[in-house]
Amino acid sequence: MRNLTIFFYEWKHFVRSPFKIVAVLLFIVASMYGLQNGANLYEKQNTEIERISKEAENERETILSYFENNEKGPEKKPWIDVTTPYWAIGNTPTYHFKKPSPALVYTIGQTEQYGFYKAIGTSSSPYDADMAKEIANPERIQSGTLDFSFVILFLLPLLLLVLLYTIKGQEAEQGFLQLVIVQTESKNWWILARTAFYTLLLLVILLGLLLYGAMLTNVFETVMVFWNVLLWVSIYLIFWVIIYFLILKYGQSTVSNTLQMIGIWLLFAFIVPAAIHQWISIEKPTNLMVDIIDVKRDKTDEIYNQTNELTDEQLFKLYPNLKQTEIAKDTLRIITARRSSIRALINIAMKDATAKVEEDNRSKNELISKTYWLNPVTYFQNKLNQLSNSHYNDYQNYRNDIQNLVDKRIEIMVLDIWNDVKVDKTKYLEYNKRLNK
Amino acid sequence: MFQIIKNEWLFLVRSRIFLSISIAFILVLLLSVFLGNYQTHKQEQTHQNAKDHVRQQWVSIDEMNPHSAAHYGTYVFKPSNLLSSLDEGVNSVTGNVLKVEGHVQNEIVHSEASQMQAVSRFGKLKPSLLLQYIVPLLLIFLAFNSVSKEKQSGRLKLMVLQGAKPLQIILSKTVSVWLYGIVLLTFILLVYSILNFQSFTAEILKRTGLFFLSYCFYYFIVSGLTVFFSSRWQNATVALTSMLGIWIIWTLFLPTILMSSAEKWHSLPSRSEFQAAMQEDRSKGLDGHNPSDERGVALKEKVLKEYGVDSLSQLPINFDGMRMQADEEYGNSVWDKHFGNNRDVLKKQKNSFQLGGLVNPFISLQNTSMGFMASDNLHHQEFLLQVENYRRVFIKMLNDKQTFGGSKTGNWGWKEDNAFFKSVPDFDYKTTQISTVLSNYMLDLGFLILWSILVTLLLVFGTKKIQIV
Repeated sequence: MRNLTIFFYEWKHFVRSPFKIVAVLLFIVASMYGLQNGANLYEKQNTEIERISKEAENERETILSYFENNEKGPEKKPWIDVTTPYWAIGNTPTYHFKKPSPALVYTIGQTEQYGFYKAIGTSSSPYDADMAKEIANPERIQSGTLDFSFVILFLLPLLLLVLLYTIKGQEAEQGFLQLVIVQTESKNWWILARTAFYTLLLLVILLGLLLYGAMLTNVFETVMVFWNVLLWVSIYLIFWVIIYFLILKYGQSTVSNTLQMIGIWLLFAFIVPAAIHQWISIEKPTNLMVDIIDVKRDKTDEIYNQTNELTDEQLFKLYPNLKQTEIAKDTLRIITARRSSIRALINIAMKDATAKVEEDNRSKNELISKTYWLNPVTYFQNKLNQLSNSHYNDYQNYRNDIQNLVDKRIEIMVLDIWNDVKVDKTKYLEYNKRLNK
Repeated sequence: MFQIIKNEWLFLVRSRIFLSISIAFILVLLLSVFLGNYQTHKQEQTHQNAKDHVRQQWVSIDEMNPHSAAHYGTYVFKPSNLLSSLDEGVNSVTGNVLKVEGHVQNEIVHSEASQMQAVSRFGKLKPSLLLQYIVPLLLIFLAFNSVSKEKQSGRLKLMVLQGAKPLQIILSKTVSVWLYGIVLLTFILLVYSILNFQSFTAEILKRTGLFFLSYCFYYFIVSGLTVFFSSRWQNATVALTSMLGIWIIWTLFLPTILMSSAEKWHSLPSRSEFQAAMQEDRSKGLDGHNPSDERGVALKEKVLKEYGVDSLSQLPINFDGMRMQADEEYGNSVWDKHFGNNRDVLKKQKNSFQLGGLVNPFISLQNTSMGFMASDNLHHQEFLLQVENYRRVFIKMLNDKQTFGGSKTGNWGWKEDNAFFKSVPDFDYKTTQISTVLSNYMLDLGFLILWSILVTLLLVFGTKKIQIV
């Protein structure tokens, strides 16, 4: 009962402190600004996806008009013949999008480091230049966007500090701490009850802010995301409450408590993540993609210049059905078919090269994950990024999807070339359907 | 005044807490300089290996048609410089690999940040991180009760009775705290100089000097403002929380908010819009690979007339190479227009952001720190321009060889030998001289000076009527 009284009495402390009220209001404003930034990015990406989809639709209409007018392609490019699988598939506009999660409103994560749409062709790779991030000011990217997760990860501990730093220290400095202890019987319960009040206050504020964010992007459309974000944000808050509670419990004065709280915050928010980042960069320097460059140039040339027997052998191994086709037995027609199918072999070489890059990245991520026990802010950051599908792994999945789409496209093209498929409007529409699945 | 500063330092040195915090912090500083340096050297090594590898591939071309070689192209890797071990600036978010080839100006790709999960929001443990974020906090901690403590203990009254003027005392307190920051800064630069003594040039020295200067101004602003609060408010905690509030607003809030706003005021096109616009403009020009292209035909007529012949086969040169170069030159005008537009927008964004220095000296500090360490966007754009200029020379050499090397029009099987490919120079990055870009940072330096003057005036006039007790 007594603890409950202390708990409610803290409300009076709070409302009588303009400094604390201003801090809470500033936090709410910053959070709303961050949520708005996340929502804007979500809208921006969706608009761009819609625009690109429309462009693809227009491209498709143009190709369909060739079939309707009995043309083989654009007049100015007489070498194009959309009635062959090679050119028809080459002219089937296929985009793969990484559709933004509504939870982007809470954290934009690594969204701005990567592209979110990719034109798929038979010579595409997940490491193409068009996979680069949107055009943006690098100084802005470097300083980061003030999103909700930034407010939570870096400003929430500071707000908590502002709300808690006077607990016990002020009473000790004013000389009535002993009186308080006598009246409340337990110093720890007294600190805990006061701390619990601010924890609850912040939880209510956070819940309100999360609900406001949910209204901006329909977060509830995605199952459990809202509750998961709430859970992780609450765990993060409790994490800092525990640290600050211990400082208050063992601390002597307001100033010393403040300095210790700030010190811990600096350590977890700045020093530790920065030191780990530096260490990772030394252990695993930036990959300059030399393996991919080698495949794009020398390996590609090597494949084009290898003997026909070797090319056939590799193609038949890749697609065993090709061996039984008519074209495989036709010494003349096989020349064009072979030439048009070489992309499949280059694609395999490219996949080997990208696998090395991805292994390199995987080991970097593993190193980072191993340091989570001493780097809690980064841990929570990546947890939130995962919830909004803006973590490195989500972009890795996106790259994997792209590779699968390229594989599928090449396979359809090679099989149809060797089976001498003639493309008409129906077939072209079928390509569109299959490749855009 | 000197005596007060000396006494302040004696007090500080005698404080065990101060000494232990200083020693611990100096160790972290040392670590940051050492690791920053080591990482730069390691990245330089990776860069050199990749550069050598790609160059070796180029000079090993036995024989190849020059235009095929233009498609084969080469790659330029963004070099890391010695200065970036102090402040890495935008280097971790910009790409590192740029393909140099015919027909197209590519964008730089494969940034370090895209190769791993999120680690640190404020970058690596470089000296700039500590100098920008942590040292000012240390100065705040040192100064927040420097005057209020004297008031409470009665020492301020004693000093005034002994003949010291309040202003003298306050200025001395400011200078003594400021000197602590300067000592840390000097220490970092000294260690950095020792580690890189052999590579030091006049340019590096000039840049480091300016870097030092901008931090000196910022530290004075922070020290002065904290001492001012300490003298105005009786309660040291209020002075501390006020300065912490200012620190949070200056370093965490305003830079990101202002930069995002600048990006909204002067918006860049989306990648897809940018590519589509370039493609649109490009399609209006000559298509080097299409002999039936109207503009190509017009060029053909013009060349035939110039040489006084009737057909391409009678030309003593290879018209294909000439058409490719015409295509290239048209393309260059398109790239200049669109990439130029982007550069203009980025410049406008930067100018708007720089104006933020009026309300936030931290912005000016960040700008000068990155700029003087050659790691800001301006230097990045300089690098991209140099690569593009190289690309134009590189492709022209190949197209000229195709045109005047002795082959005939339509002879795509004609190949140049290894000696020619060896003669094509490699990309050689010329570091931007600070003298050529200094004007871009004058506004930032101006704001830092202005803030220093304002803080001095605040100390002089704002503390005239402070309560001695």
